[in-house]
Amino acid sequence: MTFFTIIYRGLQRRPVRTGLTLVGIAIGIAAVVALVGISRGFEQSWASGMKARGTDIVVSNMGSALAPKPFRAAVRDAIAVIPQVAATCAIFVDLTGIEDSSMMVVSAREWGGFSWQNLKLVAGRMPKDALEPALVLGQNAAEALKKKTGDSIQLESTELTVVGIVDGGALVENGSVILSLPLYQKLSGNEDKINIIDVRAVPGLNSDELKQLCARINHQIPEARAMPAGEHVGNSEAYRFIRAMSWGTSLLAVIVGVLGVMNTMLMTVFERKQEICILLAIGWKRQRVIRLILWESALLGLLGGIGGVTIGCAGVKVLETLPAIHGLLEPDLSPRLMVMAVTIAVIVGVISGIYPAWRSSRLNPSLAMQG
Amino acid sequence: MTEEPSNNVRTAAMRYVFEANGLCKDFDEGRVRALRGVNFRIAQGEFLAIMGPSGCGKTTLLQLLGALDLPTSGSLLYRGVSLPALPDPALYRAREIGMVFQAFHLLPTFTAVENVQLPMFEIERSASQRLKHAINLLKSVGLEHRLNHFPGMLSGGERQRVAIARSLANNPSVLLADEPTGNLDSENAHHILDLIIRLKRERQMTLVLVTHDPSIALLASRTIRMIDGQIAADPPAPQSH
Ligand SMILES: Nc1ncnc2c1ncn2[C@@H]1O[C@H](COP(=O)(O)OP(=O)(O)OP(=O)(O)O)[C@@H](O)[C@H]1O
Ligand SMILES: [Mg+2]
Repeated sequence: MTFFTIIYRGLQRRPVRTGLTLVGIAIGIAAVVALVGISRGFEQSWASGMKARGTDIVVSNMGSALAPKPFRAAVRDAIAVIPQVAATCAIFVDLTGIEDSSMMVVSAREWGGFSWQNLKLVAGRMPKDALEPALVLGQNAAEALKKKTGDSIQLESTELTVVGIVDGGALVENGSVILSLPLYQKLSGNEDKINIIDVRAVPGLNSDELKQLCARINHQIPEARAMPAGEHVGNSEAYRFIRAMSWGTSLLAVIVGVLGVMNTMLMTVFERKQEICILLAIGWKRQRVIRLILWESALLGLLGGIGGVTIGCAGVKVLETLPAIHGLLEPDLSPRLMVMAVTIAVIVGVISGIYPAWRSSRLNPSLAMQG
Repeated sequence: MTEEPSNNVRTAAMRYVFEANGLCKDFDEGRVRALRGVNFRIAQGEFLAIMGPSGCGKTTLLQLLGALDLPTSGSLLYRGVSLPALPDPALYRAREIGMVFQAFHLLPTFTAVENVQLPMFEIERSASQRLKHAINLLKSVGLEHRLNHFPGMLSGGERQRVAIARSLANNPSVLLADEPTGNLDSENAHHILDLIIRLKRERQMTLVLVTHDPSIALLASRTIRMIDGQIAADPPAPQSH
């Protein structure tokens, strides 16, 4: 028998209570894993989408809305003349509900701009010209909307024909509805407005030089902010809100976990009062009793954490297969996130054990003699 | 140690395992006076029986001897060292004292052999040494066939034998037993008592045993009678050898 046997026996004596406590922690940790994983994945898939388009810098105006604020199309011309800028592509991006699907990225791209180049046709063809009433669908978007070439989609009360299905090389691209900018400007009444400029820098710039270029662009145009691709989503207020929400919910889950474990450990200390007194009477140091209780609650945290990570990952995987979001979610379930989640759970365990351990160490060993 | 004794006084004190002077213990802020000025000496190797009516303070006295509680006033020395002043009473309990209780007090979620190992965590021993030692102890109380039984599966007499084995886990020099046969039928009580006396002799321990049974007290080398928190009769302690 080792000290660990004693710790384990303590949890084993009330299997139902231990089980329920574990489920409590596991649900909390599962929420942490799912929420943080999804929101981080969201940020990362935007970054990889930008990479697929060959965009180095994104100029946009990420306000509090999920889609960036529009500005004058002429801003693009002011950027295009900067020497380190190799190419630009004006874009209007919107998030709208299309038919039954709740939220879709609609990406209207400058006709002939470089942001069309990464799109590989999987089926059909590209629009013939800038104003043909047609659009192409990223392959995941096509699946989510259950559309194939030849079908039509209603956008801003205009029927557009799906002429092609494309593979954009990244999740965000494949989840998008893509059409020509002039067409979208016309049918949405946003003539002469854009809200994103993809900027491709001259080759060979390092990240510091890219930042300098951003600063230069920002200096020149007051309407929007230039940021290295990928960072722009993470810095948007909407995204920050999502991140704060996911951490806030996680924090609540963790607090509930702490209270649950503390309750269980207090009950166990209360219930084992006499046993603890006996251990003290036969020579156990108070410090050893404290260690016993802290280890027990840390072990609850560890087991609950491992269970939570498992449930969280499984839940996210199930979520990914749901038809409504299939292919639109790229959660970041990295080992780092899992280790972090389990660590949080163990810390929850230890913190919850402190008060019960302190209580147990204050018991008087002479109580062992009574009864 | 409270005062610095001269060498003579110290050697005199050292002959006694316990020495109490004016020992008092109050509970509930003095509303209950469990011990009211108790004086006694217990010599090395003695078998001391403590008798007296219920509530006279026998258990309280054992608690003080085992450093489970602090006296309210008076002095209590263990081999010349003041017990209330011990920096680490747990260490004293672990190394010097074995305790046997009327209600056995085994931990129900641990098997016999595990219960015996519990006190050993406070002394340096590897897990395999602990197990080996526990098995030997259970053999010495005749329970080698009950090693992996939980207390709930053992008879009263068997439980008390496990508890006795546990009390010997760290080779104590003093055994404190509070009515060890109080929960047993007369036959089992007889066996347990024989066992305790045999082990005391083999291990040259000092035994302090609380009992209600005059026939048990007859086996002791000396009997202290207590009434109402005081010692009513105490034949002189024998000289230590
Ligand atoms: N923790 C305590 N708090 C208050 N009173 C106590 C406490 N422990 C003991 N007492 C009281 O002190 C007195 C002596 O108690 P003790 O347990 O020493 O008696 P005892 O001689 O062992 O009796 P018994 O033969 O019934 O076991 C009793 O009046 C008891 O009620
Ligand atoms: Mg008693």
